[in-house]
Amino acid sequence: MRLSKALLVFRKDWREVGRNWEVLTPIALVPLLFSVVLPLIVISVPGQVNTGTSPEVLIESIMRGAPASVMEMLAGFTEDQQLTYVLFVYMFAPFFLLIPVMASSVIASDSFAGEKERKTIEALLATPLTDGELLFGKMLVSFVPAMAITILSFIAYTVVVDVGTYGLFGALLLPTLEWFLLIFLMTPALSLAAIGLTVLISSRVKGFKEAQQISVVLVIPIIGLFIGQGTGALTLGPPVILALTALLAFFDLLIFRFSVLLFKREKVLTTWK
Amino acid sequence: MSRQLSEIITEGLTKRFNSFTAVDRLSFEVGEGEIFGILGPNGAGKTTTIRMLACLLTPTEGTAFVGGFDVVDDSLKVREMVGILTENPSLYDRLTAMENMEFFAEAYGVSDRQARSKKIRELLEFFDLWPRRDDKVGTYSKGMKQKLAIARALVHDPDILLLDEPTSGLDPRSSKDIRDLMEELSRREGQTILLCTHRLEDAERLCSRVMLINEGGMVTMGTTDELRSQIAGTPILRVRLGEVSEAVVGAVRSMEGVEEVAVDGTTLSVSVYDVDRVTPYLVRSVVMAGGMVQSVEVLEPSLEEIYLKLVVDEDEAE
Ligand SMILES: Nc1ncnc2c1ncn2[C@@H]1O[C@H](COP(=O)(O)OP(=O)(O)OP(=O)(O)O)[C@@H](O)[C@H]1O
Ligand SMILES: [Mg+2]
Repeated sequence: MRLSKALLVFRKDWREVGRNWEVLTPIALVPLLFSVVLPLIVISVPGQVNTGTSPEVLIESIMRGAPASVMEMLAGFTEDQQLTYVLFVYMFAPFFLLIPVMASSVIASDSFAGEKERKTIEALLATPLTDGELLFGKMLVSFVPAMAITILSFIAYTVVVDVGTYGLFGALLLPTLEWFLLIFLMTPALSLAAIGLTVLISSRVKGFKEAQQISVVLVIPIIGLFIGQGTGALTLGPPVILALTALLAFFDLLIFRFSVLLFKREKVLTTWK
Repeated sequence: MSRQLSEIITEGLTKRFNSFTAVDRLSFEVGEGEIFGILGPNGAGKTTTIRMLACLLTPTEGTAFVGGFDVVDDSLKVREMVGILTENPSLYDRLTAMENMEFFAEAYGVSDRQARSKKIRELLEFFDLWPRRDDKVGTYSKGMKQKLAIARALVHDPDILLLDEPTSGLDPRSSKDIRDLMEELSRREGQTILLCTHRLEDAERLCSRVMLINEGGMVTMGTTDELRSQIAGTPILRVRLGEVSEAVVGAVRSMEGVEEVAVDGTTLSVSVYDVDRVTPYLVRSVVMAGGMVQSVEVLEPSLEEIYLKLVVDEDEAE
């Protein structure tokens, strides 16, 4: 595989994606919501946040799964501080998994299903670019911007939360170890899984919209995590994050092998709907 | 194909989709610099054939060599040397004409920036698209897209051109421009061109040889002249006279090279094999037998008649 050729496909797709508001709108709005709007609301109306469970239960259940050092620290906090800490360090984490999943699946839908739908794929397949170069370029264009937007959101979130809670703690709340692991290990693995699944979905649907609608199911496991934390079933601390990342990496391997088998010229042109 | 080596050679080329046979045992050769036409009605298998030659589909059976390379074993080499106009223009609507051309030029390995710009400019100017080069292709008309797609097929100076309905969507002037361009490419640059069409006009004006296919299979193949005489029999000379006499009809009947004579009022319809050779003598005989020739008209069957006859006959035979 020639990297320069994969990058050529990457640049071409990036140009196309960058001019499609159906892709850009969710990629801009969702991160803005989770990294700036929601945290600002939580900060400006303390105690008004309804997480579905009482603060005591929430703190209880999170503390069960948190590392010993965190528990020690929390024990010395006021209840207000405890709740704020739990909310921003733990409860917001699943939202940040939504960002890369949403971004990479929207871009991948446009790049795979969209290109097929717009019937531009045939001329692309007629070029001397190999299947691998095309697949890699298209995966890259779904991955790089998704990760970039995730990291940017993380930075924005850290700034908003730190500025907003400095008065309460007199110290910086973020970043923590779990957030580093979450953003730099788990979200890449998750983004790749979303891309792989979107490739599979793209081969079975008519176009961009349909691919988009179906890939919404990717959100379900993330909502599961959110509920899991709220009910104390699990806590997104370092061990859980590492375990989930390992699981995702294994899944990535499987789905990529499958994507490579699926993304063959002839198949893309004939058996892809 | 006596004159040159063949650039495209197929042998029993077949494509089946499940149990449906879209292309059925096609064997043909296209010589270097030749313009070869595949002619057939909708669904005949033209696009499928081109897709196999461009390594987009793998033949179910049979072989195809393009530029000396096997389409299955050396598909990358084949794709490099072939320029293809796909059935759909297959252009990126959200990119400008320039961006489309740049992308495909690079994809085809035209890596020298200057050479690339020069070639792109040349092509866009030829197709009158240069002033619109920075407009998104989505804003182009159908014919403009078709022209741009042809320009794209030419961007890497391919030795072999595969064109799926090159003049579809084009107005008469643009069609003519493209036909002229193809003639020039084949004559001056020695480019080998295989085109599919259901427009007989293109095949008739352009192709040195034509293969007629229907329902995947070959119906007939040959030069347009060969096809004419093979199917529609002999050309007919229609001679209008002042008046018809026994002597005139007798004289014509007894001429060498005359097949048949039919009389209709004051018009003789004379079937002759070799129009150019027979006509002067025929006129002389008529005059010498006392006839007054008012006009002579040659009726050659057009490719269209041949086409309709063959395709319809075949369908009726089933
Ligand atoms: N991917 C496919 N799967 C199943 N059948 C196909 C596929 N592609 C083509 N066919 C069938 O093969 C036959 C030949 O199609 P093809 O597109 O080659 O015809 P064509 O000669 O190009 O027609 P047209 O003049 O309409 O473009 C048609 O009956 C078509 O339905
Ligand atoms: Mg066709």
